[in-house]
Amino acid sequence: MPWFWILVGALVALVLLAIVGYNHLVRLRNEVGTGWANIDVQLQRRADLIPNLVETVRAYAAHERGVFEEVTRARTELQRAGTPGSAAAANEGLTAALGRLFAVAEAYPELRASENFLQLQEDLTDTEDKISAARRYYNATVMAFNTAVQSIPWLLLARPLGFREREFFSAQGDTAVPEVSFRP
Amino acid sequence: MTLQEQIRSNRLRSAIVVAGFVLLLVVLAGLIGLVLDLSLGVVALAAAAAYGLFALVRSRSMVARMTGARELAPSELTPLRRLVENVSIAAGLPVTPEVRLVEDAAPNAFAAGLKPERSYVGVTTGLLRTMPKRELEAVLAHEVSHIRNRDTYLMTVATVFAGVIALVADIGFRSIAYGRGRSRRGGGALVAVLAIVGLLLAPYAALLLRMSLSRRRELLADAGAAEILNDPEAMALALRRLEADPTTVRYADASTSHLWVESPTDRVESDRQGISALSGLFNTHPPLASRIAALEQAGGFRLPERLPVDVSFAAEAGLAASPLS
Repeated sequence: MPWFWILVGALVALVLLAIVGYNHLVRLRNEVGTGWANIDVQLQRRADLIPNLVETVRAYAAHERGVFEEVTRARTELQRAGTPGSAAAANEGLTAALGRLFAVAEAYPELRASENFLQLQEDLTDTEDKISAARRYYNATVMAFNTAVQSIPWLLLARPLGFREREFFSAQGDTAVPEVSFRP
Repeated sequence: MTLQEQIRSNRLRSAIVVAGFVLLLVVLAGLIGLVLDLSLGVVALAAAAAYGLFALVRSRSMVARMTGARELAPSELTPLRRLVENVSIAAGLPVTPEVRLVEDAAPNAFAAGLKPERSYVGVTTGLLRTMPKRELEAVLAHEVSHIRNRDTYLMTVATVFAGVIALVADIGFRSIAYGRGRSRRGGGALVAVLAIVGLLLAPYAALLLRMSLSRRRELLADAGAAEILNDPEAMALALRRLEADPTTVRYADASTSHLWVESPTDRVESDRQGISALSGLFNTHPPLASRIAALEQAGGFRLPERLPVDVSFAAEAGLAASPLS
């Protein structure tokens, strides 16, 4: 008879462990989702600033058509990007194109003095800061989620239930976030 | 120990401390019920609960009044608000906390609020004038991680608990002193003595619990700030700069000292009290030097002996005029 109860106890413990593990994984996955939503909001905000910026620069430097096309193309690419990796790459493409746009703008003192241009430039800088802040958080959540999915015992649970590793927001592919170790 | 493990162990410790509070309260009420009157014990508990609830509901505005923090107008100090926004995005907070300003020359900051969605960060004008942007960001990250780790919640609850225990002990002690309660057990002289000692010591036990809670949280928030910004050196530099600054916040007193990033009361006490081991027990924060050492060890760097001379955030963002002058 004691064997029966030991077996029942072990079974109950196993079921409890599975419940705890499942909830743990769901929580981590939701955090990754929130992290991604944060990045997405800022990327969208950045893309929304572009048409206005292009129009402003065009008013002063209408013949610099090549740069405008490049920026517009980079923007479209960013809005089409479906995965974190491709979005990160598209975002860097946009940064490069904007760099060329601002280099062109250097040659037009009236443009640089324009209130509208200065405001747009400030908003863009702010958005870039926020993207990098959101990236830090997102990559940390991905790190935590991937570690959980790849390590025992949750590994045994994650695969059958369809928890797959997530991609980092990084143009170079899998760049791990450096972990800060702390001893008081 | 990684940061995640540190957070977990700190959460566990605070749970133990809160359980200690509850135990203390129950023992106290039990003592009153045993020695004096069962109904008095029940009344004391009910009064404590009512007082506790009131204090919790009012805590947000109470803290604002005690610290002298005022709300900002929508267009005021936009660069500062952007900084708080960035830090809370990096920390993954669902809502950016409000920013409030304390007109005070001493550089310091605090966080308050029961829920992360309804929290605020208070900074002194002195902080904006002293810290360069990188270190100000670290201090803000320290406060934001207090909010993220639910420290502000726990600290508020702990403060209320400490007040409640003091109230119950007071009720019990006065009842004994004025002999209103009828002793239910005739020969319980020893029990009565124990009860009196217990009632006398309870508020100090509560105080100690609250302090131990706060000190661990500070180390955790430092680590959290280093993690949020991925820059432990910035946090250490900010602490070194706070250490170097001799001023103390005007509104500081024992009831709010645990809230600030640098304890405003420790500085005064450490000058006054010679017995370091004893005064160490009642400090709300670990010494700044040991907090800096912890960050140095975690980040694998050493701070230079002399602080770098940097342009303050207020000067850099052109805030030197208007509200800061």
